[in-house]
Amino acid sequence: MSMTLYHGEPVGPSLTVLAALFESGVEADLVRIDLGLAERHNGAIPLGFEANYSVEGEGPVLVVDGEALTDSVFIGCLLDDLAPQSGLRPRDPYARWEMMAWCRWVIERLAPGAAALANLAWTTPRLAALDDAAFDKLIAPIEAQDLRERWVQTRDGTLSDDHRAASEARVHEAAKKIDDRLADRHWIMGEFSLADLESYAWIAPMRGLLPAAFEGKERLAVWMARVAGKPSVVRAMEMTRTNEMAGSFAPGPEINRWG
Amino acid sequence: MTSDVTLYHWEPNANSGKPMLTLVEKGVPFNSHYIDLLAFDQHKPEYLAINPMGTIPAMTHGGRLLNESTAMMEYVEEAFPGPAMMPENAVDRWRVRWWMKFLDQWLCPSFSMIGWSLFIGPQVRERDPEELKAAIDRIPLPERRIAWRKAIYGLFSEEELAESRRRVDFGIGVLEQALAKREYLGSDQYSLADINLFNSAYGLPSMQPDDVNDEKTPNLMRWLRAVARRPAVRETWTYSRVPRFAERILPLIEEAA
Repeated sequence: MSMTLYHGEPVGPSLTVLAALFESGVEADLVRIDLGLAERHNGAIPLGFEANYSVEGEGPVLVVDGEALTDSVFIGCLLDDLAPQSGLRPRDPYARWEMMAWCRWVIERLAPGAAALANLAWTTPRLAALDDAAFDKLIAPIEAQDLRERWVQTRDGTLSDDHRAASEARVHEAAKKIDDRLADRHWIMGEFSLADLESYAWIAPMRGLLPAAFEGKERLAVWMARVAGKPSVVRAMEMTRTNEMAGSFAPGPEINRWG
Repeated sequence: MTSDVTLYHWEPNANSGKPMLTLVEKGVPFNSHYIDLLAFDQHKPEYLAINPMGTIPAMTHGGRLLNESTAMMEYVEEAFPGPAMMPENAVDRWRVRWWMKFLDQWLCPSFSMIGWSLFIGPQVRERDPEELKAAIDRIPLPERRIAWRKAIYGLFSEEELAESRRRVDFGIGVLEQALAKREYLGSDQYSLADINLFNSAYGLPSMQPDDVNDEKTPNLMRWLRAVARRPAVRETWTYSRVPRFAERILPLIEEAA
């Protein structure tokens, strides 16, 4: 099985997959791409339908024997299937159900809000600095119409008041949900799992953008330090090349279209 | 039937049909508890005492509660013996999970937005306005409250409906291509992804006969008949109480038999 992971800077979905890969011990070639400049679509990666229509938006891509795989949590499940001793998923079916339901919440509720705020702060200025022709060239190969539209919206930096309020509310909700969850445990599932990586990868970049969501949440702060200290996360973070998050974000999952 | 599994469900389609068909395929006995979605049974105190999220379906296994229909399917697959509903190969398993996500978050909400705007919304709006308002106010999850308000009062914008129609039309083509490539959705083996899709797509040939038929979508039709032929599908429809839904699937089941 030959594997190449195309990843961005180690935040958001790229952090989840890099750390999950290191936890699993599975071997893969690592290739850094700039997700924020749509390098995923520049023709070097053999994107198939599933990669072009990834619900996660612009996350990392794991190419396995020529097939492009996306969506961090499912790549994490794949790594756990390949290396069942990794501990990325609990073994008990009920705990697994709980973990998958938790991760779904992160992807559907937190990630769209966090991505919108992060893009506005870091990605919009990068894209706005490009002239129209350069930008059009970047997004021309993007197959999914709705994803291409999210790139245009990201460049314009237009976030309605409602969308911003909803995005901020989700970060607040996630911070509270994690803090509450940790009342009787060190890790989200009791033992360390993919749920910690996926939650940390989306919530951690919000600390600088929306500090109010983190105020008074001691358990959340201690857990974030705990996740940041995991050797797999340390190893991923050592791959950081920029002092800013600028190269890390790109249009993420769309906000739920129906409520 | 004595079982420590109880499934709280509405009609055996869409989200309710997902864990139900999985249970039947695996041969897991369960107690059926019909929750009438259109009577808002799912937001009544007796149901909220079981599932505080107020969503359907929910399942109890022993003393444990499960909700979130796709995660429930994987639980049923892993917690009980019976025929495997997930492929062995790790990349096939990834593809099955990917398709379920694509259906849950991208395609099926468009099916249901159209379904609600055309059929269910107008029917529900005939009820007493005060009763409807009270029913909405009882919904525990704020995001579900917003979704129900839009559905009940028909508040979908023309842009939202147009985007849903685009996704359904595009999605039909995508499914045809995927099923031309593999015998089932996501792998060559019948799996949870097929259960997921069938429960939302069985009505396509009767609802959109000009788009889904043997000439335009031969692989989608082949697949629909292959799934409809399964005894487990027939069994789940014995739990239906709303003739309008059964009328849409029974001809497909009869034709496929």
